[in-house]
Amino acid sequence: MPETNIVGKSVLRPDAFDKVTGGKGFPVNVRLPGMLHGKLLRSPYPHARILRLDTSKAERLPGVKAVLTPSEAPKNKFHPVFFSPSVAASMVHDMLILSDRVRFAGEPVAAVAAINPQIAEEALELIHVDYERLPAVFDPEEAMKPGAPQIHEHAPNNIAMHPLFAFGDLEKGFEEADSVFENTYETQRVHTCYMEPRVCVVDSDARGNLTVWSSTQHLFGLREKLASALGIPVSKVKVVRPPYIGGGFGGKLDISFLEPISALLSLKTHRPVRIEHTRYEDFITTARHPVKVFLKTGVKKDGTFTARYAKSILDTGAHATHGAVVLMVHGMYGFLLPYRCPNSKWEGFTVYTNNMIGGGFRGYGVPQAAFAVESQIDEICDKLHLDPIEFRLKNSHGEGQQHPFDPGFKLDTYRFADCLKQGAAQIGWSNRRSKGSGNGTKKRGIGLACQPLWVSGCVGFPDIYEHSGAILKLNVDGAVDLSMATIDMGCGQTTVLSQIVAEELGVPLEAVRMTYADTETVPFDAPTHASRVTYSAGNAAKAAAGQAKKRVLEIASSMLKTTSDNLETGNGRVYVKGAPDKGLSIADVVKQAESPYVRMVPDGMQRTSLQEKGTVMGVASLAPASNPSPATAEFVEVEVDTETGEVKVLRVVYAHDIGKVINPAGAEGQVEGGFQQGMGFALMENLVFDQESGACLAGDFLSYKMPTAMEMPPEIKSVFIESHEPSGPFGAKSLSEPCAIVPAPAIANAIYNAIGVRIRELPITPEKILAALGKL
Amino acid sequence: MKQIIHLDINGEAQDIAVEPYHTLLQVLRDELGLIGAKKGCDTGGCGCCTVLVNGKAVYSCMVFAMTAQGKTITTVEGLADGATLDPVQQAFIEAGAVQCGYCTCGMIMSAKAYLSSDGSHLPGDLEMRQAIAGNLCRCTGYQKIVDAIRLAASRRMETSAKG
Repeated sequence: MPETNIVGKSVLRPDAFDKVTGGKGFPVNVRLPGMLHGKLLRSPYPHARILRLDTSKAERLPGVKAVLTPSEAPKNKFHPVFFSPSVAASMVHDMLILSDRVRFAGEPVAAVAAINPQIAEEALELIHVDYERLPAVFDPEEAMKPGAPQIHEHAPNNIAMHPLFAFGDLEKGFEEADSVFENTYETQRVHTCYMEPRVCVVDSDARGNLTVWSSTQHLFGLREKLASALGIPVSKVKVVRPPYIGGGFGGKLDISFLEPISALLSLKTHRPVRIEHTRYEDFITTARHPVKVFLKTGVKKDGTFTARYAKSILDTGAHATHGAVVLMVHGMYGFLLPYRCPNSKWEGFTVYTNNMIGGGFRGYGVPQAAFAVESQIDEICDKLHLDPIEFRLKNSHGEGQQHPFDPGFKLDTYRFADCLKQGAAQIGWSNRRSKGSGNGTKKRGIGLACQPLWVSGCVGFPDIYEHSGAILKLNVDGAVDLSMATIDMGCGQTTVLSQIVAEELGVPLEAVRMTYADTETVPFDAPTHASRVTYSAGNAAKAAAGQAKKRVLEIASSMLKTTSDNLETGNGRVYVKGAPDKGLSIADVVKQAESPYVRMVPDGMQRTSLQEKGTVMGVASLAPASNPSPATAEFVEVEVDTETGEVKVLRVVYAHDIGKVINPAGAEGQVEGGFQQGMGFALMENLVFDQESGACLAGDFLSYKMPTAMEMPPEIKSVFIESHEPSGPFGAKSLSEPCAIVPAPAIANAIYNAIGVRIRELPITPEKILAALGKL
Repeated sequence: MKQIIHLDINGEAQDIAVEPYHTLLQVLRDELGLIGAKKGCDTGGCGCCTVLVNGKAVYSCMVFAMTAQGKTITTVEGLADGATLDPVQQAFIEAGAVQCGYCTCGMIMSAKAYLSSDGSHLPGDLEMRQAIAGNLCRCTGYQKIVDAIRLAASRRMETSAKG
């Protein structure tokens, strides 16, 4: 493993200085001269047809500059999700910017642009809409039945997608089993709770060119989907990269109604238009899909899987958007791939309902699957008296084996067993007591859950972008401008990419700054999602830095009268290998490259070398060569109050084969934040809707409860198992999503260990615990 | 109808015309360009808009600007002394307490209000968590935010011991 100076160190985030003093760079702060404020009129009904829409009063209100109705919006159906091309067959095209048919309570029916938000709000109340109410359905299983309200014409029985994957002989596998387990697990709708609301400003010029600022996870995706929704060429849309956004977690991986509506209002008024969501609007815009999973599993006495079958029903809400792909990732990475089993079958149903539209959320379908799979493994181990660690190791993949998804890839680094062993040692697994054995009313238990196989990108899963790019330019003072389309949504992507560049180039971290980018000036990058940035974008940044370094060495070799391969860089200098004092600063090399060819000196004209001239740059755009798999095991200790049903998480140990850790403090932050999201999913969060009106009943933080500092455990211990991934930048692979995938099943299993009752439906509230204990 | 109110903001006396329905948050952000206080929910649920009013941490989205008449307001912009950061800001950077940063300024103001009280002891974990219980964060799991408050508190103790 090569020595590193900057990679592997907990560095101070370059963006933190700005963020602690005010945080100017958030898209929510963008203001333009003459800017108007837009507001959306949303349907109060979950399913209705618009018969008549009268906007005349609203248009007459002083300060109102435009009202937009469905008749003025383009009629081409689009899908809003960023990571696949608009032409991709795997994506369902079922959205209109504004339609005369609404399919969930809150779907926009019209929009207003006014000189301030108050007038825009007032104007909404002056729009008169006659609705014809249509029968609505909120339960996906009801929606699949004959006679249920038909939500989209193209989807009989409201099934938007029915994927199925199978291998081996399922029947034979179940015949070979000594025991067969059948259980159903359910997860609820939870919101990503990014703190910065979705917001955008769209400006237009006289020729219809658009410039967009938005709180988004994908610069190029926003350009493409907005162009697709509006039916204009992509080059008519420019998206400006924000220095950072206020969180995303998958919830900003698609265009919402905001961007196309702002664009249409801007084109109509010839002024910039800003729309910012209220928190209520955010709550009804994106959420993790509720999934019901039926599992049937055959095992030998020794715990070897012989057959596995799963059926998953996903409630995608009014439009399919992410629902189709979330379901496939759920099936593949949640069920089929993590463990070995020769006979397996999974089928899924993406089902339309009149609920809000589901979206992306850290783990992308797999938290729902892992809750089912990891809970059932615990149930199997309990029944057959097997050790949950041994059970998982017996059925897991091994280092050096072929990747189960793509035989073209190998599991070159795969330290799942180390995750289990080291995590077990730290939590004190060997002291775990038998279920429900504690004394008193407060009982403690320890639980385990794993995500044995994950991604460092998208594995080329159907129709998904994967390539990244970077442009790097050196300045005469030694500063390095790094331009990438990569969005930093808070996880520290800018820090990690800057560390990789500084390490590769041999400059101090402070010399590197992530600079301006928009869709016209930098190469494409896939979204910030799928735990991909460190690995995929990191490789592109490293390649660009490598190219710039090569040029630095060429110029320096000319200046130092030696050859490039005799030189190396470090700490902002280029010098003869093994003799750090024989060399130049990189700034001097760049000065030489940027200086005039002929200089006037006291003795007359002095010519320098033409080979030394030209801005020192590096450019790269590439798709990653592989897709290494991180692996994870999490151990949790809880205390359950059997009188009140309250669950307290006491200790957490999270072990993860991450490859090389680029920024240890940043990596710990991912684990700790991931646990908060996973714990909220496990114990408290629930985006509840009224089952008659379809209205959201938890549309603010007073009724939607996510963990505060008070509920969080006093310590979350991160254990990083550093394999050296040969295809990764400095040996790195990925981290982010498993941190949020494993907490729910780990907590559920710990609760079972504490009180001996199994809850198969999230969230595990005090009411459910007391009911399970027979106390309610 | 707008009315003029008098505020002391970050040590500077200001007369500002406000509408009766304007919240302090709106006035800070839209009238004065003090964008450190963030709108996360506008319903008193997230704490991103926390500022100090007469030294106490309050949600500025829950205060009508007119009720702040004559009061002393401190926002995150008022903490640093030129290029020298406030010890709480510095601790947030060093402890790795900043991720997306949207909650950060509100968190810092809550921490600041808490640390302005008795500085003679190192606060316990529970006490520090209570101080930020009204501020939501979705990125950090709060662990490194608590670490930052502890770091700032321990430095404050060292300083007062020397003094």
